[in-house]
Amino acid sequence: MGDVLAEGYNVFNTNKSPEGVIKYLGAPQDVIGLIQSGKLGEHILLVRGGTTTFLAPALSMGAIGVITMSGAPESHLGILSREFQTPCVMTAHLTSSDSRYVVGETDDSHFEEIARELDGKRVRLDCTDHEVGRVVLAD
Amino acid sequence: MTTTLPTPGHYDVLNAVVLKQMAVGAAVSEATGVGLDDVDAILAELAGAGLVFMAGDSALPTDGSAPALAEVAALRYAALRSDPAVLAEVDRFEDTNTQMLATMTRWQTVEVGGRQVPNDHTDPAYDEKVVARIDRLVQRLGPLLDALAAHDPRFALYRQRFDAALDAVDSGRREFVSSPTHDSVHTVWFEFHEDLLRALGRARTE
Repeated sequence: MGDVLAEGYNVFNTNKSPEGVIKYLGAPQDVIGLIQSGKLGEHILLVRGGTTTFLAPALSMGAIGVITMSGAPESHLGILSREFQTPCVMTAHLTSSDSRYVVGETDDSHFEEIARELDGKRVRLDCTDHEVGRVVLAD
Repeated sequence: MTTTLPTPGHYDVLNAVVLKQMAVGAAVSEATGVGLDDVDAILAELAGAGLVFMAGDSALPTDGSAPALAEVAALRYAALRSDPAVLAEVDRFEDTNTQMLATMTRWQTVEVGGRQVPNDHTDPAYDEKVVARIDRLVQRLGPLLDALAAHDPRFALYRQRFDAALDAVDSGRREFVSSPTHDSVHTVWFEFHEDLLRALGRARTE
């Protein structure tokens, strides 16, 4: 396994190991732009929360992998990712940082740091562990 | 209503697009009770105002959609937001919602040897137990739907959609439990929760 950049909850166990360039999606317009670009399948999608509802069109149109910075596998997005069988790592934290998401106690700097560090990097998702999903730097 | 959402129909149509995130006119019409011709005309207006994006026959929300709805909801649901009957039921809903999400996860996964693995639906007794639980949780929404419908009759449509989804499950179509590509129990539940939060002017919590 290569360098593990981030870890979080593995929403479901799968041997799928999607690889792509991480793209941070912060608003509905970002999803529209990605779908219009025709490059949805080239990206691992990074969103802020498990309650991010605007990701649904991307999932239904074939998103290959998702990383969230908050939320639980039992959330709406977790349920959707299992239905679409889209590998998903939730509440990911950087392995290089001590910052962790805590419900109601996490400020924007936590999310900004993760987005800054991961956006644009080519990675693959390792979702073979029953509990931990890993974001691995691609060779 | 506002200049961008001049009628209740405009709110209802845009609200349905935001709830579904990607929807054709027929699905919006079914969810709102607004006639298909009117839905198509309103979607064209909303697209012109930059409040939806049309990708072929499907409408998607834009960055301006949710703020426009929030502005109108504050006026349209001012009385609802201070109705003790509604607020008491909303408090109960939070617990019911948590239980429903956990139950949906149990529908999708089973525990084997302390590990969660995908439910292959080969154990009818397990599935029946989960479906019965889902049915009970849906029935718990009754008083909340009644309280909301007293302010806006469109909330009564959720009862019809839940009943249709549960009837489909009872007839053996198990995709109507949680499939996001059907008007499944989970699809209707999620849309109702989002709709409720917007009416109340509240944000989702993780």
